[in-house]
Amino acid sequence: MFMTNLKIAIVVVLTVAGYTLIANMIPQIESEVPEELALSADASAAELVAAGERIFGGAGGCTACHGLGTRAPNLTRSTDGLGPIGARCGDRVPDQDCKTYLYTSLTDPGSYVVDGYNPIMPDADRTLPEDQIWALVAFLQAQGGVVTVTADDLVGASSAATAASAAPAAAATAPSTRDPRQLLNEFGCLACHQLDGQGTAIGPAFTDVGARLDAAAIRESILDPRVEVSAGYEAFANLMPTDFGERMTAAQLEALVDFLAQQR
Amino acid sequence: MTSGRDALRTAGLVVGAGSLVLAAADPAWAQAAEGIREYGNFPVIGSRAAVWIAAQVHLMFAAFVLGVPMFAVVTEAIGIFGKDARYDRLSKEFTRLLLIAYSATALWGATLTFLLITLYPRFMSHLTGIFETSIWVYVGLFFVESATLYIYYYGWERWKEGRAKIFHWSLGILLNVWGTAVLFIADSWLSYMMSPPAEVTADTAPAQVQFWSAFANATWMPINIHRLIANVVFGGSIVAAYAAYRFLAARSEDERRHYDWMGYVGNFIAIGALIVLPFAGYWLGREIYEYNQAMGITMMGGFMSWLWIIQAFLIGVLFLAGNYYLWVGMGRIPGAERFTPYTKWMLLVLIIGVIVWATPHTMIANREELAAMGGTHHPFLGVLGVMSAKNTAVNLMILTTFLSFLLYRRANKRPAVSWSRQGTIVQGGVLGLAAAVVIFYGIYGYFVTAIVRIGFSVYQVLTVLAAMVVVLAVDLFMLRGAESRGAIRWGRMPPRSQYTLIILAVTFTWLMGLMGFARSGIRQHWHIWEVMRDTSQWAATPALGYAGVVISACVLIFLAIVSFVFWIGGLIEKPALARATSEAVGLSPQPAGD
Repeated sequence: MFMTNLKIAIVVVLTVAGYTLIANMIPQIESEVPEELALSADASAAELVAAGERIFGGAGGCTACHGLGTRAPNLTRSTDGLGPIGARCGDRVPDQDCKTYLYTSLTDPGSYVVDGYNPIMPDADRTLPEDQIWALVAFLQAQGGVVTVTADDLVGASSAATAASAAPAAAATAPSTRDPRQLLNEFGCLACHQLDGQGTAIGPAFTDVGARLDAAAIRESILDPRVEVSAGYEAFANLMPTDFGERMTAAQLEALVDFLAQQR
Repeated sequence: MTSGRDALRTAGLVVGAGSLVLAAADPAWAQAAEGIREYGNFPVIGSRAAVWIAAQVHLMFAAFVLGVPMFAVVTEAIGIFGKDARYDRLSKEFTRLLLIAYSATALWGATLTFLLITLYPRFMSHLTGIFETSIWVYVGLFFVESATLYIYYYGWERWKEGRAKIFHWSLGILLNVWGTAVLFIADSWLSYMMSPPAEVTADTAPAQVQFWSAFANATWMPINIHRLIANVVFGGSIVAAYAAYRFLAARSEDERRHYDWMGYVGNFIAIGALIVLPFAGYWLGREIYEYNQAMGITMMGGFMSWLWIIQAFLIGVLFLAGNYYLWVGMGRIPGAERFTPYTKWMLLVLIIGVIVWATPHTMIANREELAAMGGTHHPFLGVLGVMSAKNTAVNLMILTTFLSFLLYRRANKRPAVSWSRQGTIVQGGVLGLAAAVVIFYGIYGYFVTAIVRIGFSVYQVLTVLAAMVVVLAVDLFMLRGAESRGAIRWGRMPPRSQYTLIILAVTFTWLMGLMGFARSGIRQHWHIWEVMRDTSQWAATPALGYAGVVISACVLIFLAIVSFVFWIGGLIEKPALARATSEAVGLSPQPAGD
């Protein structure tokens, strides 16, 4: 009798332990609580964008749909050659600026449903505090556009008043540097390419790009990445933005091309 | 006498817990609580884990005490109308266990209530402010339900013949009515937390919320139906595990025969109800999506997406173990050997089905994982991870399991009707056609839009259900007056079959905990979705690893107490019961499945 009980206990414990082990072997993702940002009245555009990025990738839950591009438009990459959301938001609705469009899309998502997608977007008003919504708007504007959200928007501005008002333009966040290493960071190149141990290996590495391509080919790859795709990276060809020609100045482009051509 | 004390203790606990709930419902009390603090703090494991464990263990016992009466009243009916004393005895044996299990349910219910009131006073103030009326009814139903249970059990021998027996059976039905009412009321509270009416916002005072609107909210009825069926599954599996334990501990051939048969009946009910459970789950999932797409996406594609891979694994275990038990059981049925060659093919279908079902599709991944996978969808496995493939897999698994039951059912029978050959061909044709329809829509789903594809799953489900109904109907008529190829050799089962029943019960229990986490976790940092935010230090919804540890703790606590309940139950009437029932088993020429 004792042995029978022992065997049953062992079977039960092993079964439970097995399931517990499986639950601990898979990727561990915790649902974060939206953090209190406590953005001050003099918050800079860069601070707003940084806060918005955290919300976009975290508690806002935006990437569950917008990160895939199947349930909702991908906002951080160019689709149909129109650029990321910051580049295309100002043209979505006639006579409506980018900031108003984005804010309205977040707080009244049924207003503007992109063709080909279902109206599944939840109302951000019900899940995020006002300052976090504005931080999100700033982050989305920064995706290929100019950030016009200011700290003034954070302080008690109602959505109606904000939609009606033309907010003062703030400092643009489009990079002005010609430092190629800064440009790599500013334009997010290292999100997919690696250089000196930094970055992610989704696209071809920059480490020896100068040995594989000459300056003209590098320039072409930046301006029109679909023309020549490196072997083995065909599956990722559509991830590379196609609007760097619009976002970079000629001087920035040439500085970057020269720098990369020297990487051998 | 022991049961009398149980009754008093149960009533005392219920009254105690109910009084506290009523106290919480009092506006003055609620206001005071709100004025003093929002949250309490439970030592060591924290408030979230404390309430989680208490709620989950309470729920497991609640499922047991609601599922077993359904089991009991059905088996009693089979005993009455089939004139088979075995079933009547079986029914009584489990009703006896209910008496003790009720106490455990009340104990954990009271624990949960105390914890909620002390640890989450603001939340409880809101909830009781809306649902005070139904809380009163809920407490009242405890008294009525307990009284009905005691009359039902203690009147068993008094009302065992003729009309009196029918009256007794109707008491069993009444017991289920009370139990279902209790379930529906409790479901309204938890479903309100998931899907409060749209007009309720963070600024809405509880007194302004319309009671019926909150009570019959969007997910209330799907959860009711899902839980009703799941309770039958759960009750059946615990009954089967109990029988397995008794079988393994049996000292006589009579006991082994009795408990082998009991294990078969419990497992039959559990697997039979399990087959329809995915349909109820599908309805619930659809209602969640319709209520709030974001919540649905969080559930299926957000941070919980990996949960469904674990669920697929667990359900795979259930299907494989359930079928394995049947196949091993065919070893004790004369004539079953003619079906042995088919089992390896059925096993193959089940394994492929499990693999497809457990294939991930889209899930949150970082850049490195995306790079390793080659995109948001794995280039090879992505095609199997879509719903077209998964729905096809699960429907084929259901059909295969149904086929296992069919073969088991007719293993020792030789049809006496002249059209048996044609009937078998029709059955095979219907099953083959159903499989073809399921596969057709599975493949077609790759070529249509998502909206159209979702509709295909309905066709697949209806096809499978219709096929099962038609095949079973043909089977019932075809096997009328069938000759027996030999009596089932009850008790001639290898121990591994009984351990399979125990694994099934453990898996059902763990799965219940997992899905409880899924249902509750999709609210994320909301006590009440988009109405009341959780601002405590435990607001974050934990990752699956932590959840797995808590679920395992709940399962072990539950099984330990249930073992105690079974042990207590075994002390009463066991020798007489086993003798009486095994006599009936030994004399009965009835084949399996009857």
